[in-house]
Amino acid sequence: MTNKTSLAGHFRCAVTLGVDFDGPSHEVGRGIAPQGVHSWGRYSARCGIPRHIEMLKRQEVPCTFFVPGYDAQCYPETVKQIADAGFEVAAHGWLHEAWDMPADEETPLLHRTDALLREITGQPVRGWRSPSGRKTANTMRVLREMGYLYDSSDKDYDLPYRLRFGPVQDDWILELPNNTYSLDDFPFFKFSHTPPSEVLEQWKSEFDAIYDQDRFFVLCVHPRSGWGSGTPVRTWLMEQIILYMKQHDGVQFFSSSEFAQWCLAHPQALEEVHVA
Amino acid sequence: MKTFRWPDGVRCAVLVSIHFDAESFDLKHTTEDRLYGRFSYGRYGVRAGLPRLLAMLQRRSIAATVFVNGDDAVRHRSAVREIHDAGHEIGGRGWDHTPLSSLGDIEEDALRRGRDVLSEICGVAPKGFRASGGELSSNTLHLLTQLGFQYDASFQDDDLPYLIAPRPGAVLAEIPGVWALDDSLALSARHTHARLMKIWREEFDALEREGCLVPLTIHLRGDVGLTRAARIAALEELLTHMGSRPGVRFMTGSQIAALALASGLTPESDPIDAHRETLRVTPYRGELSVKPL
Repeated sequence: MTNKTSLAGHFRCAVTLGVDFDGPSHEVGRGIAPQGVHSWGRYSARCGIPRHIEMLKRQEVPCTFFVPGYDAQCYPETVKQIADAGFEVAAHGWLHEAWDMPADEETPLLHRTDALLREITGQPVRGWRSPSGRKTANTMRVLREMGYLYDSSDKDYDLPYRLRFGPVQDDWILELPNNTYSLDDFPFFKFSHTPPSEVLEQWKSEFDAIYDQDRFFVLCVHPRSGWGSGTPVRTWLMEQIILYMKQHDGVQFFSSSEFAQWCLAHPQALEEVHVA
Repeated sequence: MKTFRWPDGVRCAVLVSIHFDAESFDLKHTTEDRLYGRFSYGRYGVRAGLPRLLAMLQRRSIAATVFVNGDDAVRHRSAVREIHDAGHEIGGRGWDHTPLSSLGDIEEDALRRGRDVLSEICGVAPKGFRASGGELSSNTLHLLTQLGFQYDASFQDDDLPYLIAPRPGAVLAEIPGVWALDDSLALSARHTHARLMKIWREEFDALEREGCLVPLTIHLRGDVGLTRAARIAALEELLTHMGSRPGVRFMTGSQIAALALASGLTPESDPIDAHRETLRVTPYRGELSVKPL
């Protein structure tokens, strides 16, 4: 199938919201003790996740929480609360591995996170997002073997597509690409120190263009403090962009796995891509 | 589980914390014989900035908490005493800006000397501590309790104060900070002070709505600090806005710590405890932090 992906005719615009848990794993995985200025990840479970859950429930929109296994091990109650509140729990590495791993190191960690998230939530895990955006064909092969429906790590397109990683018929995974330079929180709060209200304008501007063109809006935020969005004003920002999108006709909010299921049910709408 | 509550009638507290960070800060990048030119922004903070800041705080009847390390304190004994005599709190900040985690066996001595010089100048021992760069060693909290500190203000992991027991029977209040409320970040990115105040006002309005602690961190310095005349004026306007909100109180670190210590909260274990084993087998990869292209 060589068609370009087109969501036209199905809904005006699909929206998926993602919260990357990024607790202490982010620092501990890099050999840094999560204390002092490195304690931002502790904020996720203490304040950020509960605040996000409350806001998302108030807005009655779905959301996918991408959780590193180590953070789930540290805060199983918090992960259970996410699932019990009806939100999707997906995988996000074990120790938020932001480095290249050989397959024999990576594969057991993918399984370890998967097993722990299943055990805590009592539900199968349907998706994965690479911590820091690194992956290989091995990653995708293991995800498929574990029954995952989608990956959400690539930055190469504005629409979902089937990403082929091998020659065998089933060697593909549904890719839900994202962008961590504009539809994310940390570039503005870590690097440019942009006032929150201007970040909201940026996200609205992104939405306006997407609503008119590609019709697929993927926002990724982090519930930690520091450069994340767990704090009051930044959770308020998330709420404001949700309210803004709701004002537009035909906007449909999906969890990532719900949207993946929609894509898989409409294979004719999706492009297949082989990156050689 | 009990959660922290502000006293009746108080919606939230604003902590005005100041980093003295004078020559000791410039000495991270140069040597004693070169504290001139570009390496004199720290001295600006003491000569030009401090009098202006103290006058503004007096106008607004705000008591601040000023963290001073030993190296700066011995250079500026009269300035430290003047701050103390003006009714502000002096808190500890170690001896210099060497990260505590790199001090090893001499950490305790550095913390003790930093405490002792402040005690000698002010006549009272400091109750609070904030680490340079927010960098703690795995032993710092324990040492702080041994040295008689009542609170630490180095973490950034909660909206409200809480309690830590780094060893059985010893309790430390933690007064967490907020990264976006540290002036040096936006100013080192060369934003205007108007832009910084826009960030702070938006952050404050949301923190106040939810009854969270509002921990401001202000530097005296002439480069990444808020004591230039125009910046003080902008800061004063924001502090006036904060003070005009019903139920908002300015509190020092030790006042907030006293509330936490009397709150009946259950002290938590040392935050590093749950991670010691993983950290022992994990190599350092701090250089992986995402950087601009």
